Amino acid sequence: MVRVTIDGQEVLAPKGQGLVETAASVGIEIPVFCYEPRLGPPVGACRMCLCEVEGLPKLQAACTLTATDGLVLRTARTSEQAAGGQSAILEFILLNHPLDCPDCDKGGECPLQDLTFRFGPGSTRMQFPKRTFDKPIPISPLIALDRERCILCYRCTRFSESVSEDGQLVAANRGAQSIIATFEDEPYRAHFSGNVLELCPVGALTSTTYRFRARPWEIQNVPTVCGLCPVGCNVWATTREGKVARILSRNHPEVHEGWLCDKGRFAYDHLRAEDRLRTPLVRVRRRGFEEASHEAALDAAEAGLRAAGSSVVVAFSGGETVEQATALARIVREGLGSDAALLPDDWDAALDAFRAPLSAIRDADVCLILGDDPVVERAPVVDLWLRAARRAEAEVIAVNPAGDVQAAPGSAAQVCADLREGKKVPTELRETAKSLKSAKRVALVWSEDDPTGGRHVGALANELHENGRAEVAVYVLPRTPNGRGVATAWYTVGEGRSDPPGEGEIGALVVSGDEAASDPRVADLAARASFVLTTAMFQSELTAWSHVVLPGTSYLEREGTYVNLEGRPQRLRRAVVPFGPDELEWLAQLAERFGVAIDPWAAPTAAEQADLPPADEFAWSRPDPQAPPGKPAGPGLELVRIGALFSGAAVERIPQLQFQRPAAEVELAHEDASTRGIAPGEAVVVTSNGTSRELRAGLNRKLRVGVVRIPAEHAKDFGDRVQVSRLSTGESR
Amino acid sequence: MPRRELLLEDADTRDLTKLAGYEAIGGYASLRKALDMERQAVLAELLDANVRGRGGAGFPMGRKASFLPHPDDTPKPIYLVANADESEPGTFKDREILLRVPHLFVEGVVIAAYTIGSGHAFIYLRGEYLAEFEVVTAALEEARAAGYLGKNVLGSGWDLTVVVHRGAGAYICGEETGLLESLEGRRGQPRTKPPFPAISGLYASPTLINNVETLATVPKILELGGKKYARIGVENSAGTRVFSLSGNVVNGGNYELELGTTLRELIDEIGGGIPDGRELKAIIPGGSSVPVLTAAEVDTPLDFDSMAQAGTMLGSGAVIVIDDRCCMVQLGLRVAQFYMHESCGKCTPCREGTRWMVQLLRKIEEGEATQGELDVLLNVCDRILGNCLCPLGDAAAMPVASYVAKFRDEFQRHIDEGACPFGGESSLAGVLAPVDQHDAHLRSQIEVPGIRAERESLTEAHG
Ligand SMILES: Cc1cc2nc3c(=O)[nH]c(=O)nc-3n(C[C@H](O)[C@H](O)[C@H](O)COP(=O)(O)O)c2cc1C
Ligand code: SF4
Ligand code: FES
Repeated sequence: MVRVTIDGQEVLAPKGQGLVETAASVGIEIPVFCYEPRLGPPVGACRMCLCEVEGLPKLQAACTLTATDGLVLRTARTSEQAAGGQSAILEFILLNHPLDCPDCDKGGECPLQDLTFRFGPGSTRMQFPKRTFDKPIPISPLIALDRERCILCYRCTRFSESVSEDGQLVAANRGAQSIIATFEDEPYRAHFSGNVLELCPVGALTSTTYRFRARPWEIQNVPTVCGLCPVGCNVWATTREGKVARILSRNHPEVHEGWLCDKGRFAYDHLRAEDRLRTPLVRVRRRGFEEASHEAALDAAEAGLRAAGSSVVVAFSGGETVEQATALARIVREGLGSDAALLPDDWDAALDAFRAPLSAIRDADVCLILGDDPVVERAPVVDLWLRAARRAEAEVIAVNPAGDVQAAPGSAAQVCADLREGKKVPTELRETAKSLKSAKRVALVWSEDDPTGGRHVGALANELHENGRAEVAVYVLPRTPNGRGVATAWYTVGEGRSDPPGEGEIGALVVSGDEAASDPRVADLAARASFVLTTAMFQSELTAWSHVVLPGTSYLEREGTYVNLEGRPQRLRRAVVPFGPDELEWLAQLAERFGVAIDPWAAPTAAEQADLPPADEFAWSRPDPQAPPGKPAGPGLELVRIGALFSGAAVERIPQLQFQRPAAEVELAHEDASTRGIAPGEAVVVTSNGTSRELRAGLNRKLRVGVVRIPAEHAKDFGDRVQVSRLSTGESR
Repeated sequence: MPRRELLLEDADTRDLTKLAGYEAIGGYASLRKALDMERQAVLAELLDANVRGRGGAGFPMGRKASFLPHPDDTPKPIYLVANADESEPGTFKDREILLRVPHLFVEGVVIAAYTIGSGHAFIYLRGEYLAEFEVVTAALEEARAAGYLGKNVLGSGWDLTVVVHRGAGAYICGEETGLLESLEGRRGQPRTKPPFPAISGLYASPTLINNVETLATVPKILELGGKKYARIGVENSAGTRVFSLSGNVVNGGNYELELGTTLRELIDEIGGGIPDGRELKAIIPGGSSVPVLTAAEVDTPLDFDSMAQAGTMLGSGAVIVIDDRCCMVQLGLRVAQFYMHESCGKCTPCREGTRWMVQLLRKIEEGEATQGELDVLLNVCDRILGNCLCPLGDAAAMPVASYVAKFRDEFQRHIDEGACPFGGESSLAGVLAPVDQHDAHLRSQIEVPGIRAERESLTEAHG
C-alpha cells in the first residue's frame, strides 16, 4: 500500500492502482472520457482528466498515472489550474459537437451531457459554423455512426483493435478531419461489434434496433442473464411498455467483463416475431392442427401420456431453467415411471475439481483448446478471454483441423489421451506437450460435440495437476445455454439414473423447447413415437410430427436458474410477461394430473434444489464413455460442421442480424483446392449422401488437408464425407 | 565567433558520399576506436561531450542513452532509431547531412548502436526524401560490404542490422512516440509518456531515438574525445550545429556554426543580410514552432540558454528571417494552418484548438474580427498550451501567442481598419511554403465519403 494525497485528503491505495480509481475510492470524481481500463493501457487522448501533480509544472492526465508513495494530486475541486484545464477541454470538446441532445438517443444517459452539466461552461464562445459530416453513416445494419457527435475518444477503435481484435473499426484522416470508419466502408461484421455502442460516451454510435425507440426516463432496466449461450453474460433488459427494447451488459468481472456478443445483444426481438406460437395446438385427425384452449391441450397431453404407459422419452433443449428441467424430470420419472432422456449436454463430476471462473483464463501460461467447434461460435466470450490471455503473453494452442496443431476431425479425445500418456507423443503434439509440461497454470477448453469429453479432459487435467503440479482450470463448453444445469437437474431427480432413448417403438416423446425440436436426433425419435408432445416458441419441421404443441417462452420471459459453463448458478428474471402461462406453470398443472406436486413459482423450486446434496457427491452411473466412433474413411473429403453463433430460431427472426449469418461457404485446405483447380471465392458444388449444394469456396491456410468445414446450416443432409468440385466443369474427385 | 565545420568538414572539397572518399579523410576510424572500447567507456565520452539533441528538444544525448537498461539486464532486444523525418517548417539541415556526409551519419548510427548494445537500428526517413533515401541506402550498402555493419562488425563478434523505413508524409511521425507507432505499422499518433522510449519504446522494448544530426556528431566526439568536444561552443551548448537559414535573406542555406554565434552574424555576415533594401522585422530562431524574436533581439546568441532567456528556443535550428513586408497575422495564420493540418487528432485541445485558431486568425486577417475575438484567440492559445498529449499543440499556440504579444499593434490595426494593412499583398513571399501549394495539396486529397463538407470549408478557410 502507498500513501497518496488527493485534494488534501490522505488515501491508502494499492501501489500501481489507477489514480482515477484511487480518487473514486474516497468519493472524488476525476471526469474521464477516453479512460476505460478494460480496453488496455490508458491513452491520454481526451485530456478530460487533467489534474495538478505537485512538483510538475504542467497539468497531467490523471488517467495515465498510478498511485505511488507520496504523490500529491489536486483535482479541479482544489486546483485552479486543474479547473482551468478541465473547462478548456470541455469547451474544446463541445466546440464542434452539434448539441442535438433533444433528438439524440444518448440524451439522458450521456456521459458528455452529464459532465457538461457538472463541469462545463454554460455558454459557448464558438462563432463559426460547426464542422459537419454526412450522417448517420450505417457502419453495419446494426450500428449507425454520427461523426458530428463523435468526440474521438477512440474507445470503439481500441475495442476493435485490442479487445475483440477484429481490427475493422479504425480512425481515418487526421487532425480535425479525423473520423471513425471501417476499411473501405465495408460493414462492421464481427461477433462483438455491438459493444462499441456501450463504450461510446456520446451519441455517435447508436443501435439501429433501438434508435428513436425510447427515452431513458420511460424505460425500466431488468437485471437478468443472457440465455443464448453457455457463458451466461449478465445483462440489463431494457423494457418499455412491457416490451424488451434493448439488451445492455451488466458487468460481471469474472464471467464476461461487461462484453456481450451480438447475438446476445440483438436477438431479443424474436420475442415479438410474427410467427410465434401463441395458442396451444392439438392434432385433429385429417384436418391437421386446431387451436385449443389450454385446458383442452393439457387434457390431450395427459391422454397421450397415459396411453404410452412408461414408454416415454423426454428430449431436453438445454434452454430450460433448472426449475423447469426438474419439474419435467419429476413428471417423467415419478409420474410416468420412465428414466429415458435425450440430453443435449452431459457433465462429468470429475471436472468439479477444476472449476474456475472464466477470468482465470487470462492468468494462464498455457491455454489448450481441444475440439473441432470454433470457441467463438459456441461460447463467444470465452474467445475474448483467450485473446486476453494471449495478449498477457500466454501460449494459446488450438488443436483442431484448422488450429495451431492441425488435428484430424473428432480426434480431441485421442489428443487428450496422447498428451496424458506422455510417452510416444505424436510428432505434431510434441511442442504442445512440452509447453504443458513447463506450465504453472493451464486452462483447458473443450469445444467438441462429444458428450464424453468431460472424462477425457478431466483425466488430462488430473495428470497435469498430479504429476505436472500445475494449477489447472477446465472449461467444457456445453452446446446449450443451460445444458449443464439441465443435466444436473435430470440426474439429481433420478439419483443418477438415466436410460438412453433406446431403439424401436416409443409410446410418447416429450420435446422440450425449440432447440430439441430442431435436433435431427429428436426427429429420428419422433418418427418412432406414437404420441409427441412439444413445447416450442416457433413452428418447425418437428411440430408437424407432434400431437400436442404448447407455446413456449423465452429466457427473457422466465424466472429461474441457469447454470453456466463454469458451473455458476445464475438467476434469470422475468423482464417481460409472456402472453400465456410459462412452461413451469403448465408443467405444474400437468404434474398434478400424475400425482406429482410441483410449485409453479421458480423461487421455491430453486430452494428445493438447494436442499439436495451437491452434484459431485453422487456416484452417477452413466453410459460408458466410449471413444467416439471412428468415422468411416472413403472417397472425398471429411466434413466438419461448424455450429455458427449467428444461427437458430432467434437469430433467424432479426432482420438486422442477417448479415452476420454464416456465409454459404465451404472452407478448403490449400492443397485440396489446388488439386481440384478451385480458386478462392469460386462457386463449387458440394455433394454428399445424394444431396448437392452450391457453395462458395473459401481457402484456409491453416486447415488440415483432406478436411472441409461448412456451417451446419449449409451442411444439412450431408454425410460425414463430401465431394467438392468446380461448378463450371462439374467433374468431381 | 568564427565558422567552424565539424560535420560538414571537407564536404565542399571532396565527394564524401562514397566510402572511398570518406575513408580517405579518416572515416570509420571512430568506429574502430569505439569497438576497441568498452560500451560504458563510449557512453562516458558522450556524457563528457555534453552534446544536446539536435532534433528539437535539446535533451543531452549521453544522459538519454544512459537511461536504457544494460543489455544483460533486460530480456528484450534494444533498438536504436534515427529520426530522419525532418519536417519542421524551415528545417532542412538533416537532408544536407544525409546527402553530403551519409557515411558520417551511418558511422554515428553504428557507434550509437554499439554503445547501447543494440543489434537493430532503424532509420525513419521522411517519405518525401527520395534522393536522400537513395544516397543513404547506397552508403549503407557500401558500409555493409566493407564490414562496418551487418554480421560480425569489423570482426568484433557483434551483429547490427540497419533498416531504412520511409515515412508516409506526416509531420507528427517526427515526434518520437508517433514515429515508433508508425514504425510498428500503426497510425502515427503519439503515445502517452511515461513509459519513455528508453524503457519501453519500439515493440515495447528499450529504444534510443536520436536526430540525424545528433547521431552524425557521435563520430566527431569520439575523434576529438568528449572533453575536447565539450569545449567547442559555449557553456551548456557544446559543439556546432547546422543551421538552416531561410526567409527574406540574401544567401539562404545550411551553415554549420559553433553554438553561441549570434543571429546577427548568421543573418548579416554569413547570410548577406536582407535583400532589396528591406528592413529586418522579426526572426524565428528555431523552426516554425518557437516564439518569434523582434529585430531588436538580433544580437541574441544561438545557444540553448540564451534562447531560453529570450523566451524562445533553439528548436530544430531553423532560422527564418522576416522582413518588413510580412504581415504577422498572415504569418500566424500560415503557421496555425500548418499545425492544424498536421495535428494527429488524438488529443482534444490540439485537434479542436488549432482549427479554432485558424478560424479566428482568418477572421482577423479579413478584417472582420471584433476586439473580443482577439482576446479569444489569445485565450485559445493559452488553453492549448500545456494541456496536450504531445508538444505539437504547443507548437501552434506558442508562436501565435508570441506574434500577438510582440506585434499586437499589427493585430489591432486589422481590427480597427477592418482590413489587412498590408493590402492583400502576398507578404509571405519567401517565408515558409506558399499557402496555395498547401491548398493544392488539400484539394488533391482523395474523396472520403462524409468529409467532403469539412474539406471544402477548410480549403475555403485557406483560400
Ligand atoms: C511534433 C513534433 C515533431 C518532431 N519532428 C521531429 C523531426 O522531424 N526530426 C527530429 O529529429 N525530431 C523531431 N521531433 C523531436 C523528437 O520528438 C525527439 O525529441 C528527437 O527525435 C530526439 O532526438 P534528439 O534528442 O537527438 O534531438 C519532433 C517533436 C515533435 C513534438
Ligand atoms: S498535441 Fe496534437 S499532434 Fe500531439 S497528440 Fe495531441 S492531437 Fe496529436
Ligand atoms: S480520460 Fe484521461 S485523457 Fe481521456
